[in-house]
Amino acid sequence: MLSLRGVSYRYPGAALDSLHDVSLELPGGTITGLLGAPESGLSTVCMVLGGLAPRVIGGTLRGESSIDGQDVRGWPMHRLCESVVLGLGQPAGQLSMVAATVYEEVAFGPANLGLSRSEVMARTEQALEQLAIHDLASRDPGRLSGGQQQLVALAGLLAMRARHLILDEPVAALDAHGRTLALAALAAAAAGGAAVLVATQHSDLVASICSSVALLTGGRVMRQGPPGEVLADPATWALGIAEPAEQRLARLLGDIGDGR
Amino acid sequence: MNATWIRVGGGLLAFLVVGLAGVLVLRQIDPERAADSWSLVTLLAIPAGIAIYALIEYLQTGRLESIRRQFDTRTLVLMPVAMGLNIVLGTAVASALKVPVYLDSVGTILVAALAGPLAGALTGLLANLVWTYLAPPPFGSPFAAPFALVAVVIGLLAGSFARWGWLRPRPGASGRDLAIGSVVAMGLVIIMAVLALGVWQVASLGGELAPSSDETAFLALGWLAMLLVVGTGIGLAWLLVRDRDLTAAYIVVAGAITGVTAAIVAAPIAASLFGGVTGSGADFVIAAFRQAGADLEQAVLGQSLVSDSIDKVVTYFVVYVILGTLAVRTRARFPQGRYLIAQPTDEPAGRAPGAGHAGS
Amino acid sequence: MATVVAVVVLGGVVGPVLVWLLAVLLPAAAARVLPGLLRTSALLALPIAVSAAIVNILFTPGGETVLVELGPLRVTGEGVSVAVEVVVRVLVMAGAVTLYYLATRPAELVASLQAHGFPARTTFVIHNAVAMIPRLAERAGEVTEAQRARGLDSEGSLRRRLRGVTAVAGPTVSGAIGEAETRALALEMRGFTRPGRHTLLWAPVDRGSQRAARWVMVTTVAVLVALRLAGWTAPW
Repeated sequence: MLSLRGVSYRYPGAALDSLHDVSLELPGGTITGLLGAPESGLSTVCMVLGGLAPRVIGGTLRGESSIDGQDVRGWPMHRLCESVVLGLGQPAGQLSMVAATVYEEVAFGPANLGLSRSEVMARTEQALEQLAIHDLASRDPGRLSGGQQQLVALAGLLAMRARHLILDEPVAALDAHGRTLALAALAAAAAGGAAVLVATQHSDLVASICSSVALLTGGRVMRQGPPGEVLADPATWALGIAEPAEQRLARLLGDIGDGR
Repeated sequence: MNATWIRVGGGLLAFLVVGLAGVLVLRQIDPERAADSWSLVTLLAIPAGIAIYALIEYLQTGRLESIRRQFDTRTLVLMPVAMGLNIVLGTAVASALKVPVYLDSVGTILVAALAGPLAGALTGLLANLVWTYLAPPPFGSPFAAPFALVAVVIGLLAGSFARWGWLRPRPGASGRDLAIGSVVAMGLVIIMAVLALGVWQVASLGGELAPSSDETAFLALGWLAMLLVVGTGIGLAWLLVRDRDLTAAYIVVAGAITGVTAAIVAAPIAASLFGGVTGSGADFVIAAFRQAGADLEQAVLGQSLVSDSIDKVVTYFVVYVILGTLAVRTRARFPQGRYLIAQPTDEPAGRAPGAGHAGS
Repeated sequence: MATVVAVVVLGGVVGPVLVWLLAVLLPAAAARVLPGLLRTSALLALPIAVSAAIVNILFTPGGETVLVELGPLRVTGEGVSVAVEVVVRVLVMAGAVTLYYLATRPAELVASLQAHGFPARTTFVIHNAVAMIPRLAERAGEVTEAQRARGLDSEGSLRRRLRGVTAVAGPTVSGAIGEAETRALALEMRGFTRPGRHTLLWAPVDRGSQRAARWVMVTTVAVLVALRLAGWTAPW
């Protein structure tokens, strides 16, 4: 379970807070969506949850941040990454570029943790299997397409077997097949007890897999609830988020049917 | 600040002591090769200085914070980019350009400015070693490794200058400051230009200035380098006149000091190992000096003084421009970033780095 | 491994030809890279060898045995001998370095370093730097393309070309730095900063014979340097 209570965050050198009094509860075993328009603070929330803010980025954090009931604000990054990992948005930036093959790239995380070689290999194999990229194992990560790189980056995160997952735009560069694999992997993680957060601007992603949706705008959480409710509320669309395509189509057809 | 001065003072003292002792010892052994002794002595004296610095800091605080702080993850990721920049630019200039500059320290000075003197020094050192031993064939240069020492010196100097705020933008400076700065800067520039032109005339085997090479990538980079050299002169004037940015003067001074120091350290290495030649445009300059009657070491020193000064001024300017293209927030996150910013920023709200799509 | 070969050459300013035979050609033949080695090292050495030859042959002042006179330029015996010495030295260095490059892959070197106790951070920097070189060069290629797309190859005033190049060069450098920023975050996220040993998946085998060869080379260099300092120079 990941939880933020009354969290406000300000970037270093900024004059105003980016997050205002944000409270989020992410129970284990669920996939929660964080939906917001561009510039609403999505990535900031992810970094706070993932521990990068303020540890690596600097800035000031007020409020409580806890994982499984423990206050983690004093934990160093390398201890935190066993409890929660964060997937950033850009696939190319996420790759370490020191791995000659995809296999070594995925193994990078577990290897950093100092596990035994057999354990590292087991975790790598499983992650590759889960995302069906075993055939890419001997390829050079730098030469893959954007979608393939995103899958490799995700595999690298999964291989770390952290207890919880935070993902910032995890499926942006993926084609339909890749999306299915990635979402299945997320569902499997949640089924294993992880608290999963997916931050995105795309409401149809949220509609498909999340059991609960939180709306973020201007650094504040407007509401949180089941996707059916939140996405049906017209106030949501006023915030600058695009409706899911199906919903919009249904609405338009409904309007036409009503003779408007 | 007091503690820092003790540390730095101790390090410098150790450097000087070891240096002097080394020179004296070597002079006893072999008075002929006094020129060689410079490099060897510096090779020993610099680590000694750094070691004493670290030792004092450890005794003072029980930790090595000022050193460790320079090497956070951000620096570690920037260093390879900087090293690549050194190698790629340096190779292109050496093979495609006939102008006597090197442009192989851009990365070193960039890291030194953002992260600190030791980080910059290490960047330069590793860059030179990688350039010789690990760089793939179009880029490999067998002659870079011995000059790793020069790169260390450059890094240490640049990091110190940046720490003292020399690379902080100073737009809108007062008329009086600008006038003084302009005089100093223009004076140095004129001296360097006159020396360079004079040498150029003598070495009239120089041929054309336009870049020429078979590899298209090098050709493009050669043009880029050429434009950098020309652009620097224009750019410095622009800074002074339009932006009223006094930092232009600091750039010239920093470049001159770094260039001269680098030349002094590099000349003996070049002279004793390669007979002074490096296959670049600088060789014509050496030829010119020798024809005028100078012996090998003097010729190399003369060439180095001219080339290195120009080269370093251009490099500092390029680094300044690069720093300017980085968002203030990006600079601030680096260990020495706050000395590179004009004043505390007042952005309405920060933005996440590398955010998914359009940022959020 | 081959690290020390180059060091030997740098120190072995004395009797370089012998060194060339022993330390460069022999291992090259063993590694079956001899023809490639000769070709590449000759190419590498060519510009500087020519430069060195010209400068030293024609411009060494104060020579006594004048061989040829071409107007104001004089070819002297001393100049020629210095030139020969420099050229040979250059060839040997180029050869050693090329051997090193051909026989080693950065991945192996880095893994070997890490196996011997180098911290993971240092090896990361080295490995990443080598990977960056072709990427930066690719970006430079994009500069060329952008220039060509603007039709600035042979026509176009200097000012237009200047603007064209800076318009592309500027963002590429800051783009590279921006990507470095993301990478730093991702590295932290994947436990890169954890103190202590990071697991190595594999490392090149360090056989006893290699270790012995290394010791021989290191001691030879040390002896040569000591002799040099003591003022001894080779008679040939």
